[in-house]
Amino acid sequence: MLLHLLVFAPFVAAILMVLNSKEDFKASTHMAILFGIVFAGMSVALVANGNMATTPVEWFHIPGCKGPAYYYLYSHGLGAWMVFLSCGLSLVALISARGHLDKNYRNFAIGIFALMGAMNGTFLAADAVLFFFFFEAMVIPAALLIAGFGGEKRKQAAMTFAIYTLVGSAPMMVALWYLLTIADNSLVLSIVLAVQTMPQSAQLLVFLSFLLAFLVKTPIFPFHGWQAITYSEAPAPLSAILTGAMSKAGVFGFIAWMLPIFTLDVPQIMTVLWLGLITAIYGALMALRATDGKKLLAYSSMSHLGIAVAGVFSFSESMLSAVLVLLVAHGISAGVQYFLLGVAERMTGTRNIEEMGGLSHTNPVFGFLFGAAGVLALAVPGTAGFIGEFGVLLSVWDMNPFCAGVVGFCMILSAAYMLRFIQKVIFGTPAREYKEGPRASALEGFAYGVMLLLLLVFGFHPAFVTNALRDLNDSTEQTAAIDEEAAVDEALPDALPVEDEEAVEAEPLESHIATSADVAQLDSSLTAAGFSEEEKKELIRQVIETEANMAKATAAALEKEQSAQPTVKDEEASND
Amino acid sequence: MTNLPLWLIPLFPLLGTILLGTIAVVSSGSKKGAAENIVGGLAVIFPAMSFACVTVLACGMPESGIRETLCNWIDFPLLHVDIGFLFDGLSRIMLLFVTGIGTLIALYSIGYMHGDRGFARFFAYINLFLFSMIVLVLSDNLLLTFFGWEGVGLCSYLLIGFWNKDLKNCKAANKAFIVNRVGDIGFLLGMLCLLSIGGAAVLNYDIFNQFMQMILNGGHLDLVFTLLTLTGVLFFVGCTGKSAQIPLLTWLPDAMAGPTPVSALIHAATMVTSGVYLVARMGKMFCMLPEVLLLIAFVGMFTALWAAITGLFQNDIKKVLAYSTISQLGYMFMAAGVCAFDASIFHVFTHAFFKAALFLGAGAVIHSLAGEQDMRKMGGLLKKTPVTACVMIFAFFAIVGFPGFAGFWSKDLILEKLVSNGPVIAMPFALGGSVNVPVGMILYVVGLATAVITAVYMGRLIIMTFFGEYRGSKESEAHIHEAPAVMLIPMVVLTFGSIFAGYLWADMIGITFFKDSLAAALGGAEAVGESILSVHHVNPVLFAVLGTLAALLGMFIAWRVYANKKIPTPKDSGAPEGSAAAWTFVWDYIHVGFVFPVRVIAWICDVVVDKFLQAFQWTLGAIGEILGDGASTFQVRRVRLQLALSITGVALIVLVALFAEGIVGIPDFVFKLIDSVKSLLGRVI
Repeated sequence: MLLHLLVFAPFVAAILMVLNSKEDFKASTHMAILFGIVFAGMSVALVANGNMATTPVEWFHIPGCKGPAYYYLYSHGLGAWMVFLSCGLSLVALISARGHLDKNYRNFAIGIFALMGAMNGTFLAADAVLFFFFFEAMVIPAALLIAGFGGEKRKQAAMTFAIYTLVGSAPMMVALWYLLTIADNSLVLSIVLAVQTMPQSAQLLVFLSFLLAFLVKTPIFPFHGWQAITYSEAPAPLSAILTGAMSKAGVFGFIAWMLPIFTLDVPQIMTVLWLGLITAIYGALMALRATDGKKLLAYSSMSHLGIAVAGVFSFSESMLSAVLVLLVAHGISAGVQYFLLGVAERMTGTRNIEEMGGLSHTNPVFGFLFGAAGVLALAVPGTAGFIGEFGVLLSVWDMNPFCAGVVGFCMILSAAYMLRFIQKVIFGTPAREYKEGPRASALEGFAYGVMLLLLLVFGFHPAFVTNALRDLNDSTEQTAAIDEEAAVDEALPDALPVEDEEAVEAEPLESHIATSADVAQLDSSLTAAGFSEEEKKELIRQVIETEANMAKATAAALEKEQSAQPTVKDEEASND
Repeated sequence: MTNLPLWLIPLFPLLGTILLGTIAVVSSGSKKGAAENIVGGLAVIFPAMSFACVTVLACGMPESGIRETLCNWIDFPLLHVDIGFLFDGLSRIMLLFVTGIGTLIALYSIGYMHGDRGFARFFAYINLFLFSMIVLVLSDNLLLTFFGWEGVGLCSYLLIGFWNKDLKNCKAANKAFIVNRVGDIGFLLGMLCLLSIGGAAVLNYDIFNQFMQMILNGGHLDLVFTLLTLTGVLFFVGCTGKSAQIPLLTWLPDAMAGPTPVSALIHAATMVTSGVYLVARMGKMFCMLPEVLLLIAFVGMFTALWAAITGLFQNDIKKVLAYSTISQLGYMFMAAGVCAFDASIFHVFTHAFFKAALFLGAGAVIHSLAGEQDMRKMGGLLKKTPVTACVMIFAFFAIVGFPGFAGFWSKDLILEKLVSNGPVIAMPFALGGSVNVPVGMILYVVGLATAVITAVYMGRLIIMTFFGEYRGSKESEAHIHEAPAVMLIPMVVLTFGSIFAGYLWADMIGITFFKDSLAAALGGAEAVGESILSVHHVNPVLFAVLGTLAALLGMFIAWRVYANKKIPTPKDSGAPEGSAAAWTFVWDYIHVGFVFPVRVIAWICDVVVDKFLQAFQWTLGAIGEILGDGASTFQVRRVRLQLALSITGVALIVLVALFAEGIVGIPDFVFKLIDSVKSLLGRVI
């Protein structure tokens, strides 16, 4: 029921908003914020409840396809947190927009609710067609909102955004249709089976079309052409939602749809990994030069999401937890930064950071919030961003230490541009004379404060976030027991990528080489395989090294256990 | 035996931060700001309470230390970290002076910051700093240490840029944070490297030590030597950032833009020594890596010498002390580089007292001169501010290593260890053969020369500030006053420290208390290092005599050169000029060499790549539009043409469908087409 509500109720809310008079600013704000609170509450309940699924209902039959498309929602840790971001940020956006708009607030709220419903649908859909439907549907309310409420170049921005992202996912639509002509139905497992029966070249084409859609949505260099103009022209509360929740659809697509469906080979993985890393550096460098505050934040988002994508394609065991924490942290921190920049824009009447300055003296509370948001975005330890970035760094290091060095370089650059941003906006003296616009209301300030607090809480106790993933396997079985067979089909593939990885990594470790006889045997078999003397030596040395490391690790773990007990005794003794 | 939980120690400054931060934010709207008495009282009480906790715990600490795990922090498949504390000999000594000196400096700041608009904000930051610093030294694993490590960096950033109306201060703060970030990435990558050698739990110090012991005992060193060396280098990069060593030292002189108590606390006594602490904490690992040790020793040596020479050229009293700090940190790393971790921590300890006293004295001088920092406008202050002058002169004796003062014991100990522990390395010649280089002797000679220079530049500072005639304007002379008692008391206490702190480890008169208290915590790292480095014992008295002679020589030179020198009336800003500037800013120029390419690449990205992508994207759009316009010409009201087009279309579809065996087969048909084209191409090529 919760799942249905989260997807459909926002649309109902959007329609109910029409009941308000356009003139009555107060009534429409109250109603919108009330709805927003309800949805945010429901998203918290969703996160708290663990995995859930609805009964699949046959939706419609696409011509030419074998099976039907289902209306089927499924919530797992990743999707639930993304829904939390979408609902939470929408609520704060509704609060924040009170200061930006007056008469048109009603229409803005309608757009926001429609967008929220579409986003929730994207993150909860268990059926590929349903997913695609919502994935595309997100664009329309967002583009309309930009066109209606944006800055000077809003028309151009809306057009660029809509056309770029729709064109980007057009190949995915064709590919999906082609997949469905082979697959039994549009659930993940049947698609996986279908992909495996396809010829190699077809697999590659389908892979590329899916990839393109998600690369554009995230966005990843060189498909980021729509991003800067869209984020800078959109009204600040909407920019916050776009970067905090909607851009996550790209990374979400990589994890929830690409990884289960395709069996990737090393060149493909490395290509996407490097695309992510290049995006991270490119975004950071562009942010160093940006003078438009909103563009700066847009490039900063791009940089962070590049790191996230690199993390996804690093394929280590801790990848999923790390990326999830990174996404949640980035969603909240980028969101709050956009909201605060919106307030700054409102107060100073410009979004050019060269023309701001001195806000911490004219408005100390704002200065505090803005500075804190900036510092929390820097991935200082103790914030959620740090946990995410460190986790990603760890996975990437596992894959390739050099790539980890690149991520480290990005972290240095991020300090450079973020500190410049903080300095230009709140420190120094005002760069020009201006008449101060409306300040942030107490409610707004409170909402931003809560967001900052959440970053700290998740930074000290990331288990709040990562525990949602732990349920993934447990409740899969429960769901299987309750639901129809289709549910089993659906739920298993989600756990697949992780398991696959474990299996692959476990293999070399299983071969225990303890004695010299084993080494001799290895040596002879290598000779038989046609290795030269030097290569053999090197290989054997590596095997022994791995063996020794493992032995050490095991011993260390044992010793830790043993040493833990005497310490306890010591303490008891000392207490006496 | 006491039952005080360890988490009380960081809790007090944290409470202080929250409380004072709330006061700062709430009172920011009012004209007057919060009452200074209350804020100042709160700001001192919290650090004092954690100092009390530390003292109680320190007295009853068992030999092996106290361990306490609060809760789990990160639990990823590859990484398991708890929030836990470790109170042993090493963290005990660090905590004692961090909280103790922190309390004293908070007290001093009440006087120094009197009347400042950001009074409450300042103390909130100071408390936050103490919290981070306590976590840094008290944590039982590397990741939590890193939390404190970046936390102190953040506070340093906030406090350097405390007077943020002036963009110059903001720039200095940004520089400090970014340069530190470079070092921090070294720390981060070092942790990753360590994790890949030692597994998910190795970040915990106990497990880390066990792991290193196991490598050593099992003779596995060869297997992991390369990775371990990389780890050591990466961690040392982190240390060079935080402890301002070559090449990441440029931020510390700029950091003097902050209020002087901050310079005393963060940029002299506590934060900058955390690099030395980390090396000592991981001594078990470093002692197995002779190459890394050599690197540490030489970096320390060059930094000590370079910074001492730079100190000679400065006119700003705080800048002299900043370079002096860098130079002293160089000594500490030299000691760590020959595995004398206890000696390096001992110098950290004594240095904290006399350098804090010097900085607070300088602060009192600046305070009495209403913000004047240029030594050329000072002089003759001995009569006007006698207490401050005495404090500074005693601390001066301590830093130059005058017999009996704190610096004498610790610095001479380091110099002695350099000779006794210094390795001898066979350097191969290009033409064949090799020569044995006594690295220890090289380090010793440079260290001794640095000691002479130290005495010269410190003598210059004392002479220019307190002796001779007052060189400032007549109006300002009338306003010179001694600092208030609230500032003098901490200074006097620290002066006692800088006289007597050295007697905790006075080898010559048989006291080795300090060494013994650290022995358990360092876990025999020294013994391992000494066995590798082939230690030979030397007579400490000889070194004491030589060290004393160096100090006297330096003081004599300073007296001859500066006592009667006519100092020109300053016109410029006080920054060094000409070749002195070239020497002072050489590392800044080198940094520019790294920053400039990044700027160029950023420019290329912005102006070339992005514009090209934009152009490409709009060209595609334009082509689409033109095609659309073209297609719309078919949309005319001519029934016959429309009909013909429709029929052609249907026919085409039917044909394709026939070839492809139904609509569903179309994609297959397309793939077949592609495949056949491919094979055709393949044949052609």
